[in-house]
Amino acid sequence: MIHLMIFLPVLGSLLLMATPRRWREEVAGFIAALTLGLGLLIWRAGGTELFSIPWIDALGVTYSVQLDGVSLALALVTAFMSFIACLYTARRIPNPGTMLALILGMETGLLGIFAARDLILFYVFFEDALIPALLMLAIYGKDRRMKALVKFAAYTLFGSLLMLVSFIGIKYLGGSPTFALADLRANPVQGAMQTWLYIGFLLAMAVKLPLWPLHAWLPDFHEQNHESGIPDVMGTLYKVGGYGIFQFGITLFPDASLELRPILMGLAAFTALYAAWIAFHQTDWKRLLAYAGLSHMGFVALGVFSLNETAVIGAMYLLAFQNLYTGALFLSVGMLQERIGSLDTRVGGVMTQAGALGGLTMALWFASIAVPGMAGFIGEFSILLGAYQISPWLTFIAGITTIAAAAYALTAFQTTFWQARPLGGVRVADLQHVEWLVLGLPLAVAIFFGIYSAPALNLMQPAVKAVLSALGGQ
Amino acid sequence: MLPTPEVALAPILPILIVLAGALASTILGFHLPRRNLTIINLVLVVLSGISMGTLWNSGARSFNGGLQADNAALLLGLIILVGTFMTLLVSLDTAWRARVSFPELDAMLMYAVTGCLLIAFSGDLIVMLIGLEIMSLAGYVLATLQDSRRSEESGLKYFLLGSVGSAILIYGMALVYGATGSFNYAEIALRVGTVSNLAPANVGILVGGALLLLAGFAFKVALAPFHQWTPDVYSGAPTSISLFLSTVVKVAAFAGMLRVFGGALADAPGWSSTLQVLTAATLIIGNMAALLQTNFKRLLAYSAVAHTGFLAMALLGTPQMGGAALGYYLLIYTLTTAAALAIVAALQRSEAGMEISDLRGLYYRHPAYAVALAVCLASLAGLPPFAGFFGKYLAFQAAFQNGYMWLSVLAALTSVAALVYYLRPAMLMFMPDRTPAREYAHGQRPPTTFTVGLGVAGVILLGILPNLWYGWVANPAIWQQLAGQ
Repeated sequence: MIHLMIFLPVLGSLLLMATPRRWREEVAGFIAALTLGLGLLIWRAGGTELFSIPWIDALGVTYSVQLDGVSLALALVTAFMSFIACLYTARRIPNPGTMLALILGMETGLLGIFAARDLILFYVFFEDALIPALLMLAIYGKDRRMKALVKFAAYTLFGSLLMLVSFIGIKYLGGSPTFALADLRANPVQGAMQTWLYIGFLLAMAVKLPLWPLHAWLPDFHEQNHESGIPDVMGTLYKVGGYGIFQFGITLFPDASLELRPILMGLAAFTALYAAWIAFHQTDWKRLLAYAGLSHMGFVALGVFSLNETAVIGAMYLLAFQNLYTGALFLSVGMLQERIGSLDTRVGGVMTQAGALGGLTMALWFASIAVPGMAGFIGEFSILLGAYQISPWLTFIAGITTIAAAAYALTAFQTTFWQARPLGGVRVADLQHVEWLVLGLPLAVAIFFGIYSAPALNLMQPAVKAVLSALGGQ
Repeated sequence: MLPTPEVALAPILPILIVLAGALASTILGFHLPRRNLTIINLVLVVLSGISMGTLWNSGARSFNGGLQADNAALLLGLIILVGTFMTLLVSLDTAWRARVSFPELDAMLMYAVTGCLLIAFSGDLIVMLIGLEIMSLAGYVLATLQDSRRSEESGLKYFLLGSVGSAILIYGMALVYGATGSFNYAEIALRVGTVSNLAPANVGILVGGALLLLAGFAFKVALAPFHQWTPDVYSGAPTSISLFLSTVVKVAAFAGMLRVFGGALADAPGWSSTLQVLTAATLIIGNMAALLQTNFKRLLAYSAVAHTGFLAMALLGTPQMGGAALGYYLLIYTLTTAAALAIVAALQRSEAGMEISDLRGLYYRHPAYAVALAVCLASLAGLPPFAGFFGKYLAFQAAFQNGYMWLSVLAALTSVAALVYYLRPAMLMFMPDRTPAREYAHGQRPPTTFTVGLGVAGVILLGILPNLWYGWVANPAIWQQLAGQ
C-alpha cells in the first residue's frame, strides 16, 4: 500500500498525458483524493512496517521505505495540500493539464522524501521534487523568472551535491554495507570527521529549510511564480529541511549535532527574527508570505536544533501544519490577485465587497501567527517551551518574533482588506463554490488540530522519542 | 630464434568487421549512393557488436597478448559501437544538409571506429598507438570534410594540436620502454609493480614517461590545460561529426587511458597526483567557461570538457572501482551527448548550431524534442532519476574512496555551475514564446528521432534501474586485469 501511495501520483501524471483534455481535471482530482485516502488508511493501520529490498546491489543502495510517526503526518499533509492544489488548479488555470501533471509529479517526490529510509533513495526523491518545481516556475512564472529559477536551482544543488559527498563519506568511513538508515546507524562515523560530514549534510538542509544566510532564493522563487499561488503551495511543501535534519541529521550525527547546537540554534533564532523584520517591510503579498514562511522555518529549526523532546515535537507539529495554513494563504492571495489584479498589500477596502474571502484569510492569518486554538500555537508554544530549557536567551530572541508576526500580518491585512476603498475600484466578487472548500478545508483542519491535538501528537511522540534516543543520555 | 606469433582471428573479428565496412565504403562508394553505404555500415556495426557478445568471458587474445578481447575491452568496445550506431543514424538525416554527404564520410567514420576499437582491445603500447593514430587521422579528415572556412579552421587546429599530442605520447612511450624494456602492458605492469627490478635511474625515466603519456592522453581527451582545441573543433565541425568526436573518440581515448594508467602503469609513481591537478583544473575551467557561452553547440562542447573532468575522477579510483565507474559513465555520457547533439543537428538552421535564446518556447513547437532535450540536459547535470546522476555518483565515490576527498568536494561545487548552464536552456524551452520559430522547419526525421528516442530511453531506464548495465560493469574481476595476465 505504501508503494502505491508513493507512486500513484506520478503514474497519475503520466496518465494525464494520455487523458482527453476534458477529463484531465477529474482524473487528477481523483488520483489526488485516492492518494490522500490511501494515506488515511495507512494512518488507521498505525503506519507501515519498514520495507527494504536491494535496489542497486553493487553500490549498497536499497529501496527502503516506511511511513510512520512524523513522516506519516507530513505525508498526510502533503497529500491533503496536493489535493487542495488540484482542486484550485482546475478552477483557476485555463487548460490545466500540464500544471496538474506537475503537481502530481511533485507529490510523488515529496511523499518519497518522507518515506525514504535510505540515504541515496532520499537524495533521489529530494532532487525529483525539484524538477517539477522548476518546470512550474519556467512554464507559469512571471517575467523575471529566469533569475529566480537559476538562483533557486543553484542554491539547492549547491547543498545537495555536498550532501551527496557526505553520504558517500558516511557509508565509506563508517563501513556500513548499505545506505539503509538502519545499517548506517549501526556503523556510525566517529570523531571530527562526523562534524565535517554533518556540515556537508546540513548545507543541503539549510538551503531547503531555509536558514539564514542560505535563504536568498526563497522570496524570488515565490514572487516570480504564477500569481494563482498554486506553485507556491507546492513550494511550501518543499521545505523539508527540518524533517531531514530530524530524521537523518540527529540519528546519524548525534555528537556533531550536540557540538554544533549553540551555533545552529543561534542561526535559527536569528533567521526567525530577521525574516519577520523583513516581512514587515514588504508590499507584495507573495514576498510577505515568503518571509513569513521563512520566519516559521526559523522556529522549526530552533526546535529541531535544540534536541529537546518537547521542542522537537513542536517543530514537527509546526512543520506539518505550517504547510497547511501558509499554503492556503498563498491560495487566498491568488484569489485576491484574480479579483483586483494586483498583489499589492495596500489595496484597501476589499472586505466591504468580499467579506467571506476577507474573513477566511484573516482566520488563516490567525493560525499563522499562532493564536491559541489554532494548530500553529501548539507548535510554536512547544518549541519555545522546550528550547527555553536549553538556551533561554536565544529562545527569548525567537519569542519576540511572535509579536513581530502579529505586527506584519495585521498591518498588511488591514491595509488590504480594510481602510477605504479606492475610488473607481473594480467590483470584487466574493468566494464562489470550490473556493470555499479550498480555503475552508485547510482552516478547518488547522482549527481541529489546534483544539484536539492528541491524534497528531500521539502519532509523532514515539517517533521523536526513538530519534532522540540516538543522542544517548540527552 | 624468434617465437612464432600467435594469430587468432576470433578476438580481432569485431575490428575486422568494422574495417570491412570502411573498405566497403571506400570501394562501393563509386557504385552505390551514400545512403545504402550507411545502412550497410549500420548492419556491420551491429554484427561487430554480436561478435563481441560471443567473445564475452572467453578472455581470447592474439599476437602474444598484443591484442586482447577481455571483458573490459568488450564493454568499452560496445560503448564505442553504440556511439557509432547513433552517429551513423544521425548522419542519414543531416549529412546532406551539412554538405558532407559523400561516401568518404562513411569510410572515414568507419576507419576511425577501427582505430577506436584497436585502442580498447590493445594489449601493448604499439597497438594502442596504431589505433590512436588511425583514429586521429580519420578524425582530422572528418573535422575538415565540410567545405567551409569554420570547418577547415577547426580541422587544421585539430590536426596541429593533435599531432603535438601524438608526438608527446610517442615520446612518453619511448621513455616507458626505456625504463621497463617492454611495450607489453602486462610486462610493464610486472616490472613497475616490483620497482626493485628497476634501477633508480630507471624510475626517473619511468616517471617522466608516465607524465608524458599523461600529457599526450590529456590532449586526446581534452583535460585542461590541454583542452584548448576542443570547443573550436566541436563547434566548428558539422554537428554529426562533433557528435562522433565528442562521444566515440573520447570513449576510445579514455579506454586507452584506462589500459595504460589503470593497468600497465597502475603502480607507477607520480602520475596520479598530476592527474589530480589536471582534473581539478578541468572541472573548474570547463564548467566556468561553459557558464559564459551563448551558443548552444559551443555550450555542449564545453560541457564535454567538463565531463572529461568527471571521467578523469573515475581514473583516480582504484582500477576496480574506477573502471566500473568509467564503464558506466562512458555509456551514459555517450547516450546523453549523442541524443542532445542529434537534436541540435536536426533543429539547427546552420552548422553553427543554435543560440541558447533560440530555444525559447521549443516545447510548444516540437514538444517531443524539447522534452527529450530537457531529459538529456538534466542527465548531464546529474539530476536523478536520470542516469547521469549515477554516473556522477560513481565518479565521486571512486575518487572519494581512494582518498581524494577534496577533489570530490570540488567536483560537487563545480557541478553547481554545471547545473546553471544546463538549466538555462532546459528551462527556456518551456517558457511561452510568441516570436516566429528559429529552427529548421523539416528537422524531424525518423532516424534522428529514433536516435534521440534510443538515447532518452537509455538514460531513463538506466537511471531507474542502473543495475541493468552496472551489474555487468561492476564485476571487479573485469578491471583487475586491465594489463592482461
